[in-house]
Amino acid sequence: MRMKKQLLLAASGLTLAGSLVACSGQSSEEEQSGAKSGGKTKIVYWTGDRHDSEFIKEQVDAYNRTNADDIEVELVIKGDDFDQALDMSFQTSEAPDVIRVKENTIQTFYKKGFLAPIDAYLTDELKAKFPLMENLNSFDGKRYSLPNYGTTMRLIYNKELFAKAGIAAPPTTLAELVEDAKKITAAGKANGEYGFAQNFKSPGSALGRSARVIAETSGYGGFGYDFKTARYDFAPFKPIIEAFKQMKDDGSMLPGVESLDIDPLRAQFAEGKIGMYLSFSAEAGVYQSQFPAKIEWAAAPAPSIDGSVNGASGFLGGQWLAISSESEHKDAAWKFMAYMYGDQILQQYQEKGFGIAMVPSVSAVAAKPEVYGIDGFLPTARDGVWPVYPAVPVQGAKSDDAFFKYILSGGDLDAIVADLNARYNKALDAAIASGDVKAEPDPDFDPARLAGQYADE
Amino acid sequence: MRTIGKTALWAFLLAAALLTLFPILVTLLGSFKTNAELTAGATILPTSWQLSNYAEAWRQANFSAYTMNSLFVAAASTIGILLVSSMAAYVADRMTFAGKRLYIGMQAFTMFVAIGAVVLRPQFELMIKLRLQDTLWGVVLILVSAHASAFFILLSFMSGIPRELDEAALIDGCSRGRTFVKIVLPLLAPGLGVCALFAFRGAWNEYLLPFVFTLSKPELQTLTVGLASLKYGVSAASQTHLMMAGACLSIVPILVAYVFANKSFMQMSAGAIKG
Amino acid sequence: MPSFLLTVVLGIYPIGWAMRYMFYDYKGYGAERYIGLDNFARVLRDGEFWQSVVNTFAYAGGKLALSIPLALLLAVLLNRGLRGRHVLRAVFFMPTIISSAVMAVVFFAIFNAYNGVLNQFLLKYKLIGGAVDWLGVDHAMLTVVLVSVWGAVGNYMLLFLAGLQNIPADVYESASLDGANKLQQFRYVTLPMLGPVSQMIVMLAIINALKGYESIMVLTDGGPVGKTNVMFLYVYKLFFPTAGTGAASQVQEIGYGSAVAFVTAVIVGAVTVLYFYGSKQMNRYA
Repeated sequence: MRMKKQLLLAASGLTLAGSLVACSGQSSEEEQSGAKSGGKTKIVYWTGDRHDSEFIKEQVDAYNRTNADDIEVELVIKGDDFDQALDMSFQTSEAPDVIRVKENTIQTFYKKGFLAPIDAYLTDELKAKFPLMENLNSFDGKRYSLPNYGTTMRLIYNKELFAKAGIAAPPTTLAELVEDAKKITAAGKANGEYGFAQNFKSPGSALGRSARVIAETSGYGGFGYDFKTARYDFAPFKPIIEAFKQMKDDGSMLPGVESLDIDPLRAQFAEGKIGMYLSFSAEAGVYQSQFPAKIEWAAAPAPSIDGSVNGASGFLGGQWLAISSESEHKDAAWKFMAYMYGDQILQQYQEKGFGIAMVPSVSAVAAKPEVYGIDGFLPTARDGVWPVYPAVPVQGAKSDDAFFKYILSGGDLDAIVADLNARYNKALDAAIASGDVKAEPDPDFDPARLAGQYADE
Repeated sequence: MRTIGKTALWAFLLAAALLTLFPILVTLLGSFKTNAELTAGATILPTSWQLSNYAEAWRQANFSAYTMNSLFVAAASTIGILLVSSMAAYVADRMTFAGKRLYIGMQAFTMFVAIGAVVLRPQFELMIKLRLQDTLWGVVLILVSAHASAFFILLSFMSGIPRELDEAALIDGCSRGRTFVKIVLPLLAPGLGVCALFAFRGAWNEYLLPFVFTLSKPELQTLTVGLASLKYGVSAASQTHLMMAGACLSIVPILVAYVFANKSFMQMSAGAIKG
Repeated sequence: MPSFLLTVVLGIYPIGWAMRYMFYDYKGYGAERYIGLDNFARVLRDGEFWQSVVNTFAYAGGKLALSIPLALLLAVLLNRGLRGRHVLRAVFFMPTIISSAVMAVVFFAIFNAYNGVLNQFLLKYKLIGGAVDWLGVDHAMLTVVLVSVWGAVGNYMLLFLAGLQNIPADVYESASLDGANKLQQFRYVTLPMLGPVSQMIVMLAIINALKGYESIMVLTDGGPVGKTNVMFLYVYKLFFPTAGTGAASQVQEIGYGSAVAFVTAVIVGAVTVLYFYGSKQMNRYA
């Protein structure tokens, strides 16, 4: 009986092994035929962007048709899981050749060794044309990407609800913000209209587009990092978080705001149910195509804490495409990249409303985007690029989660701030000690000087 | 008394069925709305029926091509899981062998951990060694390896089958293999039916594995990967309306599988009533 | 033995591979620093994690207490005789096949406080005084439990149904000849004969309930303020933090995440083993 059992097992094992052999044979055949098909150099280009995908597709197709170097570009558009997929592709040696990098991913990708320097390809002309931005496209003296377009942050408001509540101009201080939200709610609550909303389902995403820009406009680092002292200090956020809590307590926020995602928020704003919120310049395109706005709306500079502007409203960007360190066709990848960075494509980026040009020679000639409401998003003398703060793996609750908890359920804000400062600085010290990040004080750092490089007025 | 009981029974069943169906109805109706109407909520019925959602979803998610890949993965891994786990359950229930407890313990352990994404890298490296990294066979093999829950379900069904039956067959001179195929498997049919259904559904809905294994082979992508890409359209917001249309289309094959699996319970219960 | 081979090679080995990181400080880049048991010391101090464990037990407990009896009841009712049982079975099975990403959108439409279908219905019939924030701090856990029950009942109903098929009809016949009513039949025939199968079903249900995080992730993302944060979701976010546009850059915690994953596995395992021995004891006395 035992023997029969073993036979049975052996037999089933063999079947399995047999099927394995069969499939591995198949796959190697496929590979061979794949390699044979043509002398073209194939490069793969990954992007996580979706707002410009149609346009990018057209450009890639055009390049594949016209380029003289027999290069074929395969465009792959990923979604929310872009970072995860990229990780996986490097682990499994299937990394793309050209990678879209963003202002909050390029540092990580650089540290993980995903990116190849492009200095060897840059002529003096290109070096002069594309601004060098430390930690945004350049690390340790080498360049890894070039700027194309940027994103501004604004207060987006419903003109009709403002008029109905008798408010003449969008708020410029936190006190006005709270007051206006209250007025709009009082005037419209019967119709389901509320003064303020933010996508608090993800506190990080909500505060990263609201509290951040208010702090930056007021002259403080948007993520609690003080570039003067090279320490974390969340104290400047106190009045901002208090104002948000006040709006929540007043009932000026859309009901259920704690589980609100950005898309339902946009849909309600398009319906005319939300007085104002803070977000990025990409919103204009959304109200043009996906959620056609049924109302008159506009974008205004974000308020500051007390009305005085001591810093720069963050202009996010400084990088766009980069070449993978593992690419076997870096020269071809650069040829494609050079094509994408051509004046015509960069100019269209702004004119079609995908983003706001960050390359001076392009902004000088590109026309205003053809999108309703984009005027309020165009750079003013207030906008500027902030330096990059050192991200640290903090233990315990993140600042956004701790702040949102206070907004919802109260507590001792001073104690929360003290606790955040202690934990973030501890993580910062540990990261410095292990060499993961560098952080040096800059006593001359003046946030007001960051502004004004992208517009004269 | 009897009629009251019957009325109460039906009232309960219908109420439960309504509550169950309502979200599905919302999905179905939502799949005919515009994105703005769907995301804003407020309406139940679409103000205008957007049949084009289905055409768009079909085109953008490359349904016609990806459905075949999905069917292959689901069918192959269902067969694999049934084969492997039914044999394993038979051996583990009917025989004693060294390390049996350890083996059962390991099966259980794989269920305790497993956030799929965490163990993906070593699994992928193994597939590279087997030269299966660019094929859907790699996906199938990994799915089949995760057969612990089917194993435990079948193990419990196996212990419900009287030992006398298969032992009698063995004494009559049936080989182990024949006994297993001729006596045990038919008696296991209801359990196998459910396991097959769950395995099919699991493989059909699996996202991460086919996603990773087809990174460099888009033509091998499965429907779930195509459906996930529906979310991202030409602008910054999600294309929820297309996602819903795609979801409504993609559940059809599982319903078909369900009908087949249901037959395995139906036959038995019909027989049982007659018997 | 194919099952053994597959389990070890593709099940156990990858887990071991991933688990070695639990003794390291590793962020996904730079050096992997061996730090011994420091990660485990951090787990002990990690209040957020232990809160997520408490949440997990609340979630799993609620889900099991509702879905298992309901599934058994439906299975028994739909097992035999009843006209339309095939249609009803299919109806109860439907929720288990719809992707969680889509369901998140639908349940947001139903439960959201601003214009959710549920609130509109309850307000219309004056069952509640004002809008209830079903996804807010006070009710979010209840809501995710209800959603998970909705998605799970069909599974366990089918398993119970399959188990019921194994009970020969003549047992019931002889029981009814002996004058046992339906309830007595259930108590003295169905339950005992379903024994081993239902033990396994409940075990699988416990494991699944403790591990469940995907539907929570898409519906509330663990919020508001961590009220629905369960332990597997906590682990997931350590491994795969996502930085949305404009949000702060995130740092992966692979080393620490592995340690937490190990602790969660031990917790799930301990609960399962406890249940297993507990139910064995019960069987003995039943």
